[in-house]
Amino acid sequence: MSEMTENTRQPGAAAAATTCEEGTTIGLDDAVVQARGVTKLYGQGDACVHALAGVDIDLRRGAYTAVMGPSGSGKSTLMHILAGLDRPSAGNVWIDGLEITGLKERALTQLRRDKIGFIFQTFNLLATLTAAENIVLPLTIAGRKGDAAWVEELVATVGLGDRLGHKPAELSGGQQQRVAVARALASRPAVLFADEPTGNLDSHTGEEVLQLLRHSSDKLGQTIVMVTHDAHAATYADRIVFLKDGVIAHDCGRLGRDEIYDVIKSLEDAG
Amino acid sequence: MIRIAWRSLTAHKLRTILTTLAILLGVAMICGTYVLSDQIDRGFKNIFTDAYKGIDVAVTRKAKFSGEMTGATAGLPESTIAQVRGVNGVAEAYGFVTGTGAVAVNGKVVSTGGSPTLFFSYAPSDISNTTYVQGGPPTAPGEVSIIQKLATDQKLHLGSVIDVIAPGGSDKARVVGVFTFGAESSLGGSLIVDTTLADAQRWFDMPGSVSEIDVKAVPGVPPDTLAPRVRAALPAYADVKTGAQAAIDQTKQLSDAIGSFLRPMLLSFGGIAVLVGAFIIFNAFSMTVAQRRRELALLRALGASRRQVLLTITCEALAMGVLASLLGILAGLAIAAGILRLFAAAQIDIPHSGLVLAPRTVIVALAVGILVTLLSAVIPSLRATRVPPMAALQEGAVLPPSRLARFTPYLAVVLALLGALGIVAGMYGPGSASSRLGVIAFGAVFVFVAVAMVSRYVIKPLAGLLGWPLQKLAPVSGRLARDNSMRNPARTAATASALMIGLGVVVFVAVFAQGLKSSFIDSFDRSVRADFVVQGQSYLPLPSDTASRLQGVAGVQTAAGVEAQQAQIAKKTTAVYGVDPYTFPRIWKFDWVKGGSDALLGKLGTNGAIVEEQTAASLGTGIGKTIDVVTVDGKQAKLKVIGLYRETSMMNGVIVSDAGYTALFAKPQLFTVYVKGDPGVGMAQTEASLKAALVAVPTADLQTAQQYKDGIVKQVNQILNLLYGLLAMSVIISLFGIVNTLVLAVFERTREIGLTRAIGMSRRQVRATVRYESVITSIIGAIMGIVVGIVFAWVVTTRFAGQGITFSIPGGQLVAFLIVGVIVGVIAAILPARRAARIDILEAIHYE
Ligand SMILES: Nc1ncnc2c1ncn2[C@@H]1O[C@H](COP(=O)(O)OP(=O)(O)O)[C@@H](O)[C@H]1O
Ligand SMILES: [Mg+2]
Repeated sequence: MSEMTENTRQPGAAAAATTCEEGTTIGLDDAVVQARGVTKLYGQGDACVHALAGVDIDLRRGAYTAVMGPSGSGKSTLMHILAGLDRPSAGNVWIDGLEITGLKERALTQLRRDKIGFIFQTFNLLATLTAAENIVLPLTIAGRKGDAAWVEELVATVGLGDRLGHKPAELSGGQQQRVAVARALASRPAVLFADEPTGNLDSHTGEEVLQLLRHSSDKLGQTIVMVTHDAHAATYADRIVFLKDGVIAHDCGRLGRDEIYDVIKSLEDAG
Repeated sequence: MIRIAWRSLTAHKLRTILTTLAILLGVAMICGTYVLSDQIDRGFKNIFTDAYKGIDVAVTRKAKFSGEMTGATAGLPESTIAQVRGVNGVAEAYGFVTGTGAVAVNGKVVSTGGSPTLFFSYAPSDISNTTYVQGGPPTAPGEVSIIQKLATDQKLHLGSVIDVIAPGGSDKARVVGVFTFGAESSLGGSLIVDTTLADAQRWFDMPGSVSEIDVKAVPGVPPDTLAPRVRAALPAYADVKTGAQAAIDQTKQLSDAIGSFLRPMLLSFGGIAVLVGAFIIFNAFSMTVAQRRRELALLRALGASRRQVLLTITCEALAMGVLASLLGILAGLAIAAGILRLFAAAQIDIPHSGLVLAPRTVIVALAVGILVTLLSAVIPSLRATRVPPMAALQEGAVLPPSRLARFTPYLAVVLALLGALGIVAGMYGPGSASSRLGVIAFGAVFVFVAVAMVSRYVIKPLAGLLGWPLQKLAPVSGRLARDNSMRNPARTAATASALMIGLGVVVFVAVFAQGLKSSFIDSFDRSVRADFVVQGQSYLPLPSDTASRLQGVAGVQTAAGVEAQQAQIAKKTTAVYGVDPYTFPRIWKFDWVKGGSDALLGKLGTNGAIVEEQTAASLGTGIGKTIDVVTVDGKQAKLKVIGLYRETSMMNGVIVSDAGYTALFAKPQLFTVYVKGDPGVGMAQTEASLKAALVAVPTADLQTAQQYKDGIVKQVNQILNLLYGLLAMSVIISLFGIVNTLVLAVFERTREIGLTRAIGMSRRQVRATVRYESVITSIIGAIMGIVVGIVFAWVVTTRFAGQGITFSIPGGQLVAFLIVGVIVGVIAAILPARRAARIDILEAIHYE
């Protein structure tokens, strides 16, 4: 299995580099996230799983990248490792020039405070805090005041109006995720990681969240990494990275929905 | 079902362990109490069984009643011995005088660690249990023989001179013999001194009398046959018993004296610990049921009946109860041994035997442990049966609120009223002291439970209030902690309530003791005009001539003694004080009722009395009326009440003149001598003169008025500290409850904690959040405890207002208790906080 992975990776990556204009996996000079030779093994012996089997990737500052791939292809694992939530079995990751592999717990906490924003699929908010309090939570945690204008801008961006004083339980799923986006933006992170942010939403509310992310990229210049298996969600991204069996199978620029389906299909056929 | 119960117990190991510990400790205290008091009982029994070995019949003087200050009886006339010898079937009879005093070596009183120094006049007889190892029994005045322990400890030998201090005076005596006594190993610190009859009669004010006559029967005459014959031959005031019965009675009397105080006290603290444990169990099982909601629903969906669900939870409780009780019994044995060790360290040397584990102890411990566990689990178990099978399928379905939930506030009010009724009935109602105390205790338990039931309504406001400063201190941790503690008010309330009980009793005791202290000091300052107070060590009476001895000392203006004994007046055991009408008013400022004056003292004569106002009320007497007095010897007298005064703290009873006292009682019992110095002479100089005069009375303690007050306060504080020590157990148990709750809360919030960690919360902040929640809970418990404790103390002090106990709040101590609450919270949070901080972010956010 792992041998086959090795075989399919090189042609796939080469194909991507030729077909897509933006698809440069590594070697960017203004990369905010860099990963080299990242592998992740789960289990031991016969039960050993290669969740990631050697990933090299650079993410340009300000870019909005979607990570796609079938279930179990290693999308979440990659995101966790890039964000410093998980440690790779081998390889190195840099964020904003800082090598994060091997950082101590304390430094990782500091990293999460200063450089990283998260949006998870569900349970992004603390139930006991109001929407507004949830938004500024990262600032409060870090003991920062955050400038009022910025917080106001965020609040305006989320567009919750009078519902800001409500507890999450009183908000719809879409509203909750929008609050989560604002919260992730609050500390002006170097990178915003989102794992299936619309996975739990219907298409309409999902749309609102996607537009909000797009807006953050365009207007605020926010670097975004979004894991998704939804082709429509991926069309919002400037760059799409396809994972398969723990390696980058395809890496390209902005694609329409049908083109994405084509890539998926060609990757399936190749497998 | 049993297997499921077992699985559940092992699945939540920490909770199982802490909950088991919570009930275990209470059971251990109860078991330890029984073991300890049985050991002491057995110790006394060994002594008296030995003392009466070979004695077929014992004759003493009947005591009309018994009390703390009744003193020894007048005894039997020596002529009684001859009467006894004349009875058919008596082989041998001898009389002796016995009493309690002290021995001093080189002017220093030999300490007995609270046990008595017993004097016996030696009677040549082969039924004595003393065996001489050196020299022989005393034969001439001024000779004594002593128990080997005393000789060894004080390095005394034949010819050594010791001081004998007895109520009749103190004297030099020469050691002429050393002996061993049968059950010496269980004597504790007690000492035995043998004297001649004449000396003993002098030292114990029993001229021409003996305390007891011991009889040996002619072979073939059983004691049960001989005793009635002896009884028939003697006057009615003689108390004739078989030797075996006398041993039992004396054991009972002494162990009652200790047991009536020690056992109920220790048992009630054990009871409080069990009550706190019950709260922990209730809470632990409520949490278990909530956590296993889906599993229980699945069981129901698979066809398990409600009864079977009830059974699984009950099995769990049963297993826990049995385990806790068995371990509790073991721990109880350890506690008993530990307390004796502590006593020994504190130089308290009570007679005791080796470990005694009576069947009763095991039965009570098992019954308490198992029943309390089962009862506390009843409500959670019933709730478990109400989990609908549908809950297995629904995500996040909540337990249906109990059918009774709606009625909780009403139920609480009813319980509180019942409790209040119990307390009031116990305080003012009829019945014996112990049954009334029992009623009060039940009332208090009801009130505690009622407060616990309604406490959930104060959680939100209190947590909000307490969280506010925390939030200022730590914006995130404080805020989250505050919110978290309000999330499940019922759970927080139950957790805090456990602490409330322990601290409530602590506060009650503290406030009550404060009242005791301040009322005593007020009373002393108001009434006593003396500069010095002389009392005997270990509550031994002073030699009766102490007052006159001190009156002659240079620099002394007035020395006035107070003799005291108890007598029965209108069937009530009442203190009777004998004072010198001339000197006493000079050191005592009376608070006279209605036109009374110090002149009344001069009119006392031998049959006049002045009575404390409250005492008079309870005896149903007043000025001009006559009271009937019965002494412990059965002597009767009529006294005329000529005046009333107020003084409920130090002289609460009846005052007669010293002449009246002597006419009434066979023996003097001089407890206190008040000394007023001559203002013209320096106090230090007077003190030195008094000290010099008291060298001959080594048992006398000379204290300045201030030292005396400080000493009393210190004594109260010592008892207070002992009680705090006992109550610490309950506080520790409630700490386990907080740990239980926090561990579950952390578990429930795994995902949330993971999220906050992902967005930058440090481990330290996570720990702080848990710690603050813990502290909020424990302070709520402390506040409730303080409020309830103060209310209890207030209610009880109103009852004792007659005894001069005022209501007084020890502010500093209350602050200390709040701090204790904070400390409890911080300690309880250590483990759960560590667990919370260790939560893996990735696992947490994937966690279902
Ligand atoms: N904690 C884990 N233990 C063992 N295997 C894991 C663990 N997490 C992920 N995996 C495995 O690693 C592979 C990649 O998982 P993941 O990154 O979650 O994929 P994706 O997010 O693309 O669905 C899968 O085969 C998965 O089973
Ligand atoms: Mg995934």
